[in-house]
Amino acid sequence: MKSKVKGHNSRFIVMLVMLILSGCGGVRNANVADTTGSQPVATSRVVTDDLGRHVTIPLRVTRVVSLAPNLTESIFAVGAGDRLVGVTTFCNYPEQAKSITKIGDTMNPNMESIVALKPDIVFVSTASQIESFTKTLDANGIAVYVTNPMSLDDVVKDLFALSEILGNSENSGVLANFVPELKREINGFRERMKNETKVRVFVQISKEPLFTIGKQSFLNEVIDVAGGESVTNEVESAYPKLSKETALALSPDVIILSESDDNREPNEVFRNSPAVKNGRVYKINADIISRPGPRLFGGLYQIARDLHPKKFPVPF
Amino acid sequence: MLEVRDISVSYDQREVLRDVSLTLRDGEIIALLGANGAGKTTLIRTLNGTLPVSKGEIDIDGRPLAGISRREIARNITVVAQENETRFPVTVLEFVLSGRFVHGSSFGWESETDIEFAKKALTECDLTGYATRLMNHLSGGERQRVVLARAIATNARILLLDEPTANLDIAHQAMMFKLVRKRCIESNYSAIVITHDLNLAAEFADEILMLKDGRIAAKGMPAEVLSAENVKDVFGVKVLLDMNPASGNVRVTNVF
Amino acid sequence: MKRGLVIGAVLLALLVGVILVAAMLGAERLPLFDLNEQQRSILYDIRVPRILLGACVGASLAVAGAGLQSLLRNPLAEPYLLGVSNGAALGTMVAFVFFQSLELTRPILAFAGAGLATLAVYRMAKSRAGMNVERLVLSGVIVTTFLSSVIVMLTTLLDAAKLRSFTFWLLGDLSQATRNGVYLSLGAVIIGTIVLMSQARALNLMMVGERDAFDFGVEVGRVRMLVFGAASLVVGAAVAASGSVGYVGLIVPHLVRLSVGSDNRLVVPFSAIAGAIFVVFADTIARTAIAPRELPVGAVTALIGAPMFIYLLRKN
Repeated sequence: MKSKVKGHNSRFIVMLVMLILSGCGGVRNANVADTTGSQPVATSRVVTDDLGRHVTIPLRVTRVVSLAPNLTESIFAVGAGDRLVGVTTFCNYPEQAKSITKIGDTMNPNMESIVALKPDIVFVSTASQIESFTKTLDANGIAVYVTNPMSLDDVVKDLFALSEILGNSENSGVLANFVPELKREINGFRERMKNETKVRVFVQISKEPLFTIGKQSFLNEVIDVAGGESVTNEVESAYPKLSKETALALSPDVIILSESDDNREPNEVFRNSPAVKNGRVYKINADIISRPGPRLFGGLYQIARDLHPKKFPVPF
Repeated sequence: MLEVRDISVSYDQREVLRDVSLTLRDGEIIALLGANGAGKTTLIRTLNGTLPVSKGEIDIDGRPLAGISRREIARNITVVAQENETRFPVTVLEFVLSGRFVHGSSFGWESETDIEFAKKALTECDLTGYATRLMNHLSGGERQRVVLARAIATNARILLLDEPTANLDIAHQAMMFKLVRKRCIESNYSAIVITHDLNLAAEFADEILMLKDGRIAAKGMPAEVLSAENVKDVFGVKVLLDMNPASGNVRVTNVF
Repeated sequence: MKRGLVIGAVLLALLVGVILVAAMLGAERLPLFDLNEQQRSILYDIRVPRILLGACVGASLAVAGAGLQSLLRNPLAEPYLLGVSNGAALGTMVAFVFFQSLELTRPILAFAGAGLATLAVYRMAKSRAGMNVERLVLSGVIVTTFLSSVIVMLTTLLDAAKLRSFTFWLLGDLSQATRNGVYLSLGAVIIGTIVLMSQARALNLMMVGERDAFDFGVEVGRVRMLVFGAASLVVGAAVAASGSVGYVGLIVPHLVRLSVGSDNRLVVPFSAIAGAIFVVFADTIARTAIAPRELPVGAVTALIGAPMFIYLLRKN
């Protein structure tokens, strides 16, 4: 089993630093609609979220609540972490997030606490399955922005949207270049890995009962770009409980363990698999692969290194 | 033979029976009379070992009851009480056979003897042909007869009957008492019967015991005990006493 | 008696048949002959232990139900309703949380939990007049719902990783079957069934009434202890291995009584066999219906059991 390696020198991290730097400044008005009619200065604007909903927010957003750990990370990544007034109990990254007021967990956020914080906008992620609260927040007159990141491109898009909503106009130019740059990087990665034989990967989320990732998981694409193939990418649902018989028959070449207490080693059914026999079992931080956020890119790099060690021999 | 010497029984810090003594000889029938709450059922329950005595002794054939095991008591003393509702499908024969537990082992099936006794008991209780019928399809009176049959099937020498004629029609009331008396005469069994029917008691009992507020108010032969004063004292009602023209025994008539 | 033997033989044959058919079905298709090494592993390491565990769990729950119903004179008595299952589940959870690696603590604490729950119900239900059936059902419902709440509270307080393992298991999950688990379960059910059969004649009397039983020579206190003890043992072992599989203890004894009457000398052993058949059947559905994903077996027994129970109620 290889220990986790931070992709410190990934080009992605460099780009994210740029993104953070560019996140200081004025307001960028994308998708602006002048809602105040004949007034010369707009006091609010309308933005469109991932579900196509139109959300009305103030020109300058100063109080933000995040109801998903991946969004908390993204908000910090775009340099607007200081504007977060409420996060969930699961929001543990970066370090500063831990000291922000907690408004409950992702399943049951406390409506009263949220309302009491008087946020300008509340960010929700479908990845945390709380769209049902959108209605309640709407009813309380609170602006809700729903994100639905299902792929690496979506994560990029969401980062951009966040920077637009929360960012500054001074560095907008940098941002405008950043997104296609990031996209080019991803495609470059894809190209680079194109001629490699896809490595058959099994992602184990928990050992007993045996949970893995399925068709609706965004990790399938990440693994694909990293030069691998999730052997369970045809199984319905995002986190299916898999039959041990099928698991045994799958004989993966690589097993990736999502690091947590109930997942320290591969399930016994894999004991004769090529992955275990060749010692190709890798751990990865559970938060990184369960959050479609900025750290996913680092995760992509780490997975690529694990799958094709020869192509990424040593961090430069 | 059952000997009861000055027993007192309490529960809930209340003394329910006080200084009760009686002797039940082989072949004898004692009728236990009294108003509701006088302690009749308590006495029966004490005699079969269910309730403990706080004072006094009970001996069966010279041996103290307290020292005998549950099963051995049940082999010698059987109780016929009000029947409980059965929520499960049980046949008449199964019900009667279950009483043979007192003779068998924990494991195992009933022997030929067990089945013979059970079938004989059914016949004696006028239940021929009832063997495969379900208990909860029977009438109250029929079920009461099955309960009697179960007790008879155990072949216990001492029968304690708690209002066994409660649901029975007139024909079966007589049948029941006749059956008990037959056993007592033929096989030297003995019985204590709680009944509200003073006339049946007069006809069938060798001795009558009247209980009032946990104490014995009167004890002796029917002719002696069944007097207008005793009945007034124990039951609080006025009665007329004369002689039953058919049997020559005391006849009690309510005066309204 | 003869009829009883015939039915017994039929049930045994049916059990063997169901096990054989179940061994042929699963998420992975296996050939009938000439299995390669991997296929043999699927069959003997995964499929067969699970089927055998299912049989033991089914037998345990059914036999406990039969014993409790007779003892408590209540056709509705069953391990779940009386809080026995939840007591065992709570015991297992405590073992898992505090003694994680010591696997033997699970069945032991499950047995303790089951026993304590049973005692609590019994104490609550007892009144001077003896065991009133309505009080019993009420006490059972109170204890089982109380324990359910404690379980839910515990799962809420546990961290996400452990939570995931438990949520599925609580619904009844045979996928964690191991050889040792099967041996333990088999041992428990054999001991439990023998103890219950030794009390079968006494139970026949107790079914009519505790007072009646006492009058006819039954040591009521001893029988109660033995039956409660045996029920707690088998339910504890079953729940520790597979979580809460409901309806088995309720339905199976009823169906058996409909065929052979209420004599516990037949009902107890036949319930064991019929219970085994029922759960093996239900688990085969759980393993194959949405293969390669799995359903919790408790969900399948409920889906079959609830309508069946309504039908039985109607029939009476």
